[in-house]
Amino acid sequence: MRRYDSLFLPLAILLLGGLLSFVLTDYRLRLLNISVISAIAVIGFNVAFGLTGLISLGHAAFVGMGAYTLAILTTSLGWSGWLAIPVAIVVTIGFAALIGFPLLRLRGHYLALATLGLNVSFTIVLTNWVQLTGGTNGISNISDLHLGSFAFNSEQRFLWLGVMFLAVCAAGAVLLQKSALGRAMMAVRDDEIAARMTGIDVTRIKITALCISAALAALAGSLFATHVRFVAPEDFSYAHSIVYLAMLIVGGEGTVAGAIIGAALLTFLPEWLRFLGNAYLAFFGLMLLAILIFLPTGLVGLVARLRGRREQGGATP
Amino acid sequence: MADFIQLLVNGLALGSVYALAAIGFVIVYSATGVVNFAAGQFVMFGTFAGVAMLSNLGLSLPVGYAAALIAMAGFGALFFAAVYMPLRNSPVATVIIGTVAVSIVMQNAALLGFGSWPFRLASPLDGITFDIAGAAITAHAAMVVVVTGVLVGLIWLLFYKTALGIGMRAVAQDTEAALLMGLNVNVLLVLSWVLAAVLAGIAGLLLGPMWFADVNMGDPIALKAFAATIIGGFGSLPGAIAGGLFVGLTELLGASYISSAYKDLIAFVVMILFLLVRPQGVFGERIQDRG
Repeated sequence: MRRYDSLFLPLAILLLGGLLSFVLTDYRLRLLNISVISAIAVIGFNVAFGLTGLISLGHAAFVGMGAYTLAILTTSLGWSGWLAIPVAIVVTIGFAALIGFPLLRLRGHYLALATLGLNVSFTIVLTNWVQLTGGTNGISNISDLHLGSFAFNSEQRFLWLGVMFLAVCAAGAVLLQKSALGRAMMAVRDDEIAARMTGIDVTRIKITALCISAALAALAGSLFATHVRFVAPEDFSYAHSIVYLAMLIVGGEGTVAGAIIGAALLTFLPEWLRFLGNAYLAFFGLMLLAILIFLPTGLVGLVARLRGRREQGGATP
Repeated sequence: MADFIQLLVNGLALGSVYALAAIGFVIVYSATGVVNFAAGQFVMFGTFAGVAMLSNLGLSLPVGYAAALIAMAGFGALFFAAVYMPLRNSPVATVIIGTVAVSIVMQNAALLGFGSWPFRLASPLDGITFDIAGAAITAHAAMVVVVTGVLVGLIWLLFYKTALGIGMRAVAQDTEAALLMGLNVNVLLVLSWVLAAVLAGIAGLLLGPMWFADVNMGDPIALKAFAATIIGGFGSLPGAIAGGLFVGLTELLGASYISSAYKDLIAFVVMILFLLVRPQGVFGERIQDRG
């Protein structure tokens, strides 16, 4: 059974996504698409934070790097989106590696503050490098992705594409978690010195984790750009980095399912809490705090704990 | 020259506010190991405590200021009980996101209470300006610098000359040893949060007349306070002061002489350079691994 874990999650995603694409209204589908895109970014964030323990508050900058690279390539240079996505991913990985070498010497809240500063700087550059990025007006008229004459231009069609990407990313992430590389990442997270003692090249593992995390962020950013067809600096501000962190913590850090559940939950939550009106965000903050205090391992952790208790209860007569 | 003097004084005044916010941040960090991402909202609360007491309740200036600071002290104690205590043994990331969550609550509570329109907070020295070598210096800006200077002196006296302050430093250095020496650690920890909240309150009251009182003012202040803390030296009081002044000065001088669009970038680039080259900051103190 264990052996098929990496297949179970992607199949569930495809099945659920396909089913929902036929029953939900357009508005709900739009939210679902946004959750799918966020989930890809959060799965990436989980590689850096959940597996390797790198507290980054700059993940939105990677998402933005991917989105802007795609936007510039497709609008100014007229590239096809399919060609621009891999280039956006490569450019973002390059950026991650470049900043990773100096920054990853930092740990804990030093790393958090440095990446936060980096994200703020990134937004300032996006806002002010007007010739390249269009400044606060952003870049509009990004074209849809299409296969031949079939364009992914409706919410329903985009969801088919989105769940496909999400399923592949989820499968890859589950496989990574079980691989030697994934275990090395967790070793670095749990005890850096012990990991180094066993012959793990800590710096290389951290850079690799950051690059994988950036690659998934860039993919999410590229999908975001072709879905919304418009990018602007505020979509990639540090507040979004904090949302990614919140999504992962609410869902359950260190797990792929947690990343997906957290992303979906926090995307739909404003919708469900609409009756609260302007008090929604204040409530959101309180709820987040309550989850941190009472469910430190997130929703996935809660499920595991309940299941464990039941099994324990069954064992003792 | 006149322009330069004016920028210098205004930069020092703004820097003083950042320094006060950074000192509150450092006091809490040293004592409790918590990196308080809600530090900017503390200052915003200070400004709005002033708005509530002076504009809404119509109290006179001295009474209103005192009432605002008492409210901030109460808020600091509440924060200790409701946020710090439950999260004190959690991992760094949880504490970070926890204080971020509180920051979201505070900002939106203020939005619900006061609305999104900016308020004007009065200064006791409204309308008075000095003319120094052709530069028009507001008395308020001069007062901000003086008040900060006095407060820094008082904080120094508290931490180095009173038993209470020495106890607080003892807790900051080693909580368990302080406990073994019979210090009432919890009382000292509450006092750290109260002191940080009151300092943020004073910063907020001083900042109100310089900016408009706006519920979104917390985030930019927090980011500047973080930059100030890193540049000066994480966990160092002199560092917070020097860093705050540096960030305030670069913001105003940079906007005038380099580029107003990139003025904020300068502080962050310097901050990141410091993290890379000299993470212990200008006033390098022992880097604590806690928190």
